Amino acid sequence: MSDDLKMNNVLVVDDSPTMRRMVITSLGSLRKVKSTQAGSGLEAIERLAIEPVDLMVLDLNMPDMHGMEVIGFVRSHHAYRNIPIVVLTTKGEETSRTEALAAGANRYLTKPFDPRQLADVVGSLLHAS
Amino acid sequence: MDTPNPDNRGEFFDQFLDDYYAECDEHLVSIRRSLVTLEDEVDTRTVDRALLDNLFRSFHTLKGISGMVGLGAAEQVAHHLESYLRELREGTAVLSDTGFQALGSAVSLLENVINARRNDQPIPAIEEIVERLQAVSADSAVAELTTESAPQNSDDATVTSWQIEFTPTAELAERGINVNSVRSRLQKIGQLTQAKPVVKGAGEIAFEFIVTTSADKNALSSLEADGLTFKPVAVDPTPRTKEVPAVPIIAPASVVRVDLDRLDDLMRIVGDLVISRTRLEEQLTELKRSTPPAAWRSLQETSLSMGRQLRDLRESVMRVRMVQIGEIFERMNFVVRDLARESGKRVIVQLSGGETEIDKFLVERMMGPLMHLVRNAVSHGLETAAEREAQGKRSEGLLSLSAMTAGEKIVIKIADDGRGIDRRLVLERANARGLSNGNSELDDEALLTLLCTPGFSTRDEADRESGRGVGMDVVKKATEELGGRISLATKVSEGTTFTIELPLTLAIAEALIVSVNGQRFAVPQSAVTEVLEVESSATKVLENNEIISYRGRVLPLIRLARVFEMNHQRGDNFHVLVTGDETNAVGLAVDRILGQREIVVRAIKDPLAQSKGIAGATELGDQRVVLILDISALRQLAVTSKH
Repeated sequence: MSDDLKMNNVLVVDDSPTMRRMVITSLGSLRKVKSTQAGSGLEAIERLAIEPVDLMVLDLNMPDMHGMEVIGFVRSHHAYRNIPIVVLTTKGEETSRTEALAAGANRYLTKPFDPRQLADVVGSLLHAS
Repeated sequence: MDTPNPDNRGEFFDQFLDDYYAECDEHLVSIRRSLVTLEDEVDTRTVDRALLDNLFRSFHTLKGISGMVGLGAAEQVAHHLESYLRELREGTAVLSDTGFQALGSAVSLLENVINARRNDQPIPAIEEIVERLQAVSADSAVAELTTESAPQNSDDATVTSWQIEFTPTAELAERGINVNSVRSRLQKIGQLTQAKPVVKGAGEIAFEFIVTTSADKNALSSLEADGLTFKPVAVDPTPRTKEVPAVPIIAPASVVRVDLDRLDDLMRIVGDLVISRTRLEEQLTELKRSTPPAAWRSLQETSLSMGRQLRDLRESVMRVRMVQIGEIFERMNFVVRDLARESGKRVIVQLSGGETEIDKFLVERMMGPLMHLVRNAVSHGLETAAEREAQGKRSEGLLSLSAMTAGEKIVIKIADDGRGIDRRLVLERANARGLSNGNSELDDEALLTLLCTPGFSTRDEADRESGRGVGMDVVKKATEELGGRISLATKVSEGTTFTIELPLTLAIAEALIVSVNGQRFAVPQSAVTEVLEVESSATKVLENNEIISYRGRVLPLIRLARVFEMNHQRGDNFHVLVTGDETNAVGLAVDRILGQREIVVRAIKDPLAQSKGIAGATELGDQRVVLILDISALRQLAVTSKH
């Protein structure tokens, strides 16, 4: 679905503004990628309603809507079912890799993260879709 | 836990350090606030779930971002704090007094670790605290922990639950109407018990809120204008899950974070503009004779309106730099509780004027000094409960922190109702140290001067609480360096009040331009209470000091010409700028007052050019540099040079 002129919109969801900046800067090395951000699960879903999103980088432990609920919502609705989701969560999080992948996450990375690895993962998922 | 930090990854994350510190500060403020509330719930077995959730999430985030910037010690402390909070949340541990203390100490340590990194200092050891946290986490819960549910408005018979539906669109988002703004509006109307996304028939996303309120339909009808629909619903009267209030540390979409350096740049540019405008005004004055009156007047009007706009601009930029002092008060509140606990005293802290705004730069510089005064008040000022009761006082000591703005100044008061300062003891001590000037009576100002003399302390060794490298001399110096003033009022067995007056902002000030021996100086107007014109014959000399009579009292004069060792020719008349209060007024003698100006204060950084009595320099319109007088230092000179 990616034609040569289209920019891919990556939605970065994390309740920490510093973390969002780190993620967005890490993705800066990718070509034809722009980022949007959301500070909570509800905000993330609002972004989906407002603009097309090609991929989500999603934190899990967030106020008012846990990342797992966001995954559940996205995967259960036809229009958003195919959006790739990269879970990016702090090491020691209760939700295990297996649970997140079973719920529908495409990849599961932990913080502290390696900016290059994150960019590679996002780049390859965008390329594949 | 290991902290991966190989190759150039550290460098990559170094660029986020300022964001990291700012976010840490926000979380630490919110953590402290939660801890103060949590303290009342120690051992009660009813702990507010939302409070624990917020604390947990703050520690979780601090752990995450600390790991990213490679600050392993902070990551680990936050990790253990997070684990303890998880146990509390899940009810596998009970919040005991020991546990609460461990929590408090760990938060202080976390802050110290972060600050150590920020100031390039050695990172403090964390092992002991980590062990304490692990020990309290193992305190298994005997009884089940009940989680307090939110207070219900159910005693009101007319409570209704409404289901509100909001469909976000790009247009609404542009108007600032989004899921966050809708939610905070609803939280003002009543108690929000649900907020969840749904997908409607055509596949569009909407949010469903349930709000319980005693307000009538009219309160909700304003929402209709923004495309929200609402209808009454029947809900389970005791919702099992409580809507967690929006976490205050998340900046709403309309708030941006700005690096303080950028604001300083902005302020500097405004300063340059002020100078250019002054230059313009002077050039206009020169043009007046050679320009047709009508043309000149219209130029002058433009210049004047530009001046007003510039003032507005300056005020707006200044406002951006302002932060509420309440944040600092909260931190102090926290320190007081810690100290009180350690020293076995009971203290009630009273805060007022927390919404008073103060320049961020001033706050950062005054933090240490204010903290010192608060520590002093708790460790030396207030008595133990037993001592207080013996004197017929209430067993809890009262410490009040207040702030208010008064004109161009902000006034901060730190008051205790403790034992007061014993003048006799201070005097004995001063005599023993050879610091006394032979006075047998000490008024409040003389007392403060003694207390603030470097090397003076009424304790034999600085005790732990009030030590920490900041003494009263440092408090006074810091206040005066910022153009402020500190004063003291104390009465034995009634208490002590320290009052600190600070200018609202530093960069631009109103000043009087004066001339001495043909040289111009700027005097900050905030330091001058009155301007007098004096005939030379009206001065008298008393003990080698020049004095005049002023409002029925004696006003000592400082001749600027003499202070700066100028070869001065005296005229018949001169002007005196009166500084200080009625009781300690000192006059500055100058030749002439040239006018009143808005000046841009620049610090003199070259140590060779620094001189006692000079606070900085400014540029007037004609591009010549004018020195700004340091009034408090000059007054000091006058006091010490009574030869």
